[in-house]
Amino acid sequence: MRKVILKGLLARKLRLALTAVSISLGVAFVSGTFVLGDTMTATFDQLYEGLTEGTDVTVRGESAFTDTTTLGNTKPFDTGVLDEVAAVDGVAAAEGSVTGYALILGKDGEPVQPGGAPTLGASYPDVEELSGGMSIRSGEAPAGPGEVVLDAATAEKTGYAPGDPVTVLFADGPREFTVSGVLGFGDADNLAGATMAAFDLRTAQQLLGKEGVYDSIAVRADSGISPEELRDRVTAALPAGLEAVTSDEVVAESSEAVADALGFFTTALLGFAAISLLVGALIIWNTFSILVAQRTRELALLRAVGASRRQVRTSVVVEALVIGLVAAGVGLGLGVGVAAGLRAALGAVGLEVPTTTLQVQPRTIVAALLVGVVVTVLAALLPARQATKVAPIAALRSIDAPARPMGRVRLVLGGVLTALGAAALAWALIEEGQLQVAAVGMLLALAGVLALAPAIAVAVTTVLGGLLARVGGTSAQLARRNALRNPRRTASTATALMIGLALVSTVTVVASSMKASVAEVIADSSKADFILKAASATAPGIPAQLAEELRAVDGVDTVTQMRFGPAQVDGATTFVAAVDPATVDAAANLDVSSGAVTDLDDRSVLVSDDVAGAQGWAVGDTVEIVYAQTGAQQFTVAGTFGNTDLIGSDYLTTLATHTANGGAPLDIAVLLVAAEGTDLDTLRAGLETVTAAYPNAQLDDAASFTESQAATIDQLLAIVTMLLALAVIIALLGIVNTLALSVFERTRELGLLRAVGTTRRQVRAVVRWEAVIVAVLGALLGAVLGLAFGAALTRGLAEEGLAVVEIPGGRLVVYVLAAALAGVLAAIGPARRAAKVDVLQAVAAA
Amino acid sequence: MSAPSTTPLASPPAQSQPAAAAVDAVKAYGTGEAAVRALDGVTVAFERGRFTAIMGPSGSGKSTLLHCLAGLDTLTSGEVRLGDRSLSGLKDKQLTLLRRDRMGFVFQAFNLLPTLTAAENIRLPLDLAGQKVDQAWFDTVVAAVGLQARLEHTPAQLSGGQQQRVAAARALVTRPEIVFADEPTGALDSRSGADLLAFLRRAVDEFGQTIVMVTHDPVAASHADRVVFLADGRIRDELHAPTTDAVLDTMKRLGN
Repeated sequence: MRKVILKGLLARKLRLALTAVSISLGVAFVSGTFVLGDTMTATFDQLYEGLTEGTDVTVRGESAFTDTTTLGNTKPFDTGVLDEVAAVDGVAAAEGSVTGYALILGKDGEPVQPGGAPTLGASYPDVEELSGGMSIRSGEAPAGPGEVVLDAATAEKTGYAPGDPVTVLFADGPREFTVSGVLGFGDADNLAGATMAAFDLRTAQQLLGKEGVYDSIAVRADSGISPEELRDRVTAALPAGLEAVTSDEVVAESSEAVADALGFFTTALLGFAAISLLVGALIIWNTFSILVAQRTRELALLRAVGASRRQVRTSVVVEALVIGLVAAGVGLGLGVGVAAGLRAALGAVGLEVPTTTLQVQPRTIVAALLVGVVVTVLAALLPARQATKVAPIAALRSIDAPARPMGRVRLVLGGVLTALGAAALAWALIEEGQLQVAAVGMLLALAGVLALAPAIAVAVTTVLGGLLARVGGTSAQLARRNALRNPRRTASTATALMIGLALVSTVTVVASSMKASVAEVIADSSKADFILKAASATAPGIPAQLAEELRAVDGVDTVTQMRFGPAQVDGATTFVAAVDPATVDAAANLDVSSGAVTDLDDRSVLVSDDVAGAQGWAVGDTVEIVYAQTGAQQFTVAGTFGNTDLIGSDYLTTLATHTANGGAPLDIAVLLVAAEGTDLDTLRAGLETVTAAYPNAQLDDAASFTESQAATIDQLLAIVTMLLALAVIIALLGIVNTLALSVFERTRELGLLRAVGTTRRQVRAVVRWEAVIVAVLGALLGAVLGLAFGAALTRGLAEEGLAVVEIPGGRLVVYVLAAALAGVLAAIGPARRAAKVDVLQAVAAA
Repeated sequence: MSAPSTTPLASPPAQSQPAAAAVDAVKAYGTGEAAVRALDGVTVAFERGRFTAIMGPSGSGKSTLLHCLAGLDTLTSGEVRLGDRSLSGLKDKQLTLLRRDRMGFVFQAFNLLPTLTAAENIRLPLDLAGQKVDQAWFDTVVAAVGLQARLEHTPAQLSGGQQQRVAAARALVTRPEIVFADEPTGALDSRSGADLLAFLRRAVDEFGQTIVMVTHDPVAASHADRVVFLADGRIRDELHAPTTDAVLDTMKRLGN
């Protein structure tokens, strides 16, 4: 039997190669995701370990809670603590440091803004043993108020060298420095992607608004004293509110936070990989079904000469096993490339990942091989069962057995699932915020349509093929018949494409709804003539000084600032917004329903109607907000508001509360209202003279703000579409595969067609039309599902600010047309093969 | 098409010109010592309105001759003519259009597209050419093969004999200059075979159709006006108004 299997594999190598490609691509995605995730984690681990090298214990302010939002953000403390720590028995060295916000401007005046990573300003350490991996690579350490050292990555990107002048932007505005040197972090050029401008301690304290305080103290133990021992001794000497932690604890804490952040990211990527694999599995199932059908005679012959059912089944499964293994191996290799590609893609959109060797862990290898093999074998099981049903008598039958009709059970089940799914989706459409209902509806509808696919394929192909026959004549007519010949095959080829396109369409509908919603939110909630936001979506904010300077511009009536900070309410981390109660009303429509904005003071809070309703809070009640640096704080509810769309937070405090609880003095947005009768163009020119010095702040009016938000959404849409494109590509490969197999199977028919006068061109057209029918069938189903899914999801997310459902009809039509075009492309190879059929041989074969 | 603007019906060509002919036809496979000559200098003409059978043992070259006459295969040397037109040097597309517009075919088996109904299979050459169906002629042909009640059936729903009759109707529906039949009764029982042969006979007698049929069955050959005997790639003998016995005798003689 082994020999039979092997020979069979070799004889069908082209068809199998096409099949294997779909699995390889899916596996490549999975292993690429693992490799990238592991590489990123390893990079950060190495970095944190390097940074704490030489330091045994760190002293810092205590945090009321710790997660990614609070990492590295502890409450500063008095410099006097350093003397107390240094005096502890067993301390060899101790040095205080500060960090804060500092944005480096390039030679062209553009900010060096790494996506996602912070822009750090820091004190450069004096004590060498405590500097970790940090060292001066060229030039000298900074000395005095006019000198700065830059990280090597920034230096390379901008071309700054020691001696060059450089502008650095702080929370209180831009300042000029001279580059005294370039910093390295061990082997790394920067700190996990962050930029760094380091100054001598005194200068850093002044610039970062931390005079007389430290953010942390690094402590090194005398030899013979363990870090734990030192930690305990130091802790004993510390005043309340401060803690001492060992470097191991710091590293573990940081790694965990990074793993949390990356976890979301890798989960999302694995989700996309799973979609690709699902589509790949559909194609493999389809391919094996066709192969088994084509080999009916061969398998029957095997059975006739004495092969048991079990042996026949085994031969199909072993074939799948071999293909799965080979494909997974290839996919694993490709995965390393995918990881590099993903890293480059992330870099291109500003999420730079520091470079380390790509990590291929045993887990990745096992997972990749397992996924590839399991998916392939599972997909082949059903066809394998089918293979055993082949009766020896079938070998004698010359005319192809007609395709099995759809089972009634499948029809009924599909109908029920589809109906339930449609009902759930309808419910989610009618009632806002039913996200779970929408999700359940999507799953049910998808399962239902998959079950009903053959029946749908017959209906759609009949209509669609009829329309196409008017354009394509006899060729299209023949193609339509071919597509209808085996509805299961047509359906499963088309549904592979449908899944990919449904997801792309869903995302497109949600994205265009997001854009429409942004426009509506701005129109409804903003009364501002101009809006200032950080130019990069991932930047932490704009320096507070800018708002001060804008107030002085002629023609400005009101300037109101908004800030954001993490805090916990009821044990869950949320973002608390901070506003100026005196001016916020002039620029934003908060829709206050009880109390008043002007009642908001440093001991009170405004709560959204939704949260107030859920918690049963009313004006005068007490709300506890836990800040990481300052712990639990009691606030009185000063009022409730209905419109959270513009600010995007359920809690509003004053700016003073924000600062008092450790919030950075960076504005997330600045809203500006012109004085009555001011010409807006003139005002804009005036504002631009001020904002020119703050290149990370972007000045917009309502229209351009909407546009720039739309551009951001489009960028996100592009990334997600790119990730989903793989599933679509795999589906198209499936069309190629099915067509190639069908052409092979119809050699005699094609020969006959040619004999009675079908030109090569007409034969190619038949294959092409069939591809178009299958592709458009899949695309149409996908677009319709995607439209329903997208609309239901948008309604489900209504409370997250998706106020409007916008159907991008033109775009969906483009998708369907693109699918038709892709069908034409997919048909090129099979069509060429079909046209090359040797008429004599085909006719003689009869 | 580049053929003369006159149609065969409007202006019948001179009686002397045959419907199809092979002149010094040679078909060789392989080269040098190993070369096999399937056709070794065959010269033969097929008159219009006549039913000609080509007979010969396996490997005699009879099928090769038919394929070359039909433009399905090309000669190594010599010439094949369809009416006044030489097939030599024609490109695939020209040959294809000739087959579609001026020839009809009946093969031994697998004559029909399984996805099309009987009626659609019959109309296929016309549909491929984008021509309108002459309904009266269509009905005449269908009636002649006795398939009026089976037109909407698919091949899978038809018996072998019925399938071959559909193929014969398809071969006639374009009013071709010549119909080639390659062992049309080879896969049929004798009853169905006789029905089909009777139909082919009627096509010649009543519609003036020209038919060339390859067969190895003396009974089938006896339906023809003339039998051409082939062996080893050469024409060996010829019979006119053959009977089954006469055909058998000739074959025996040639066999020895």
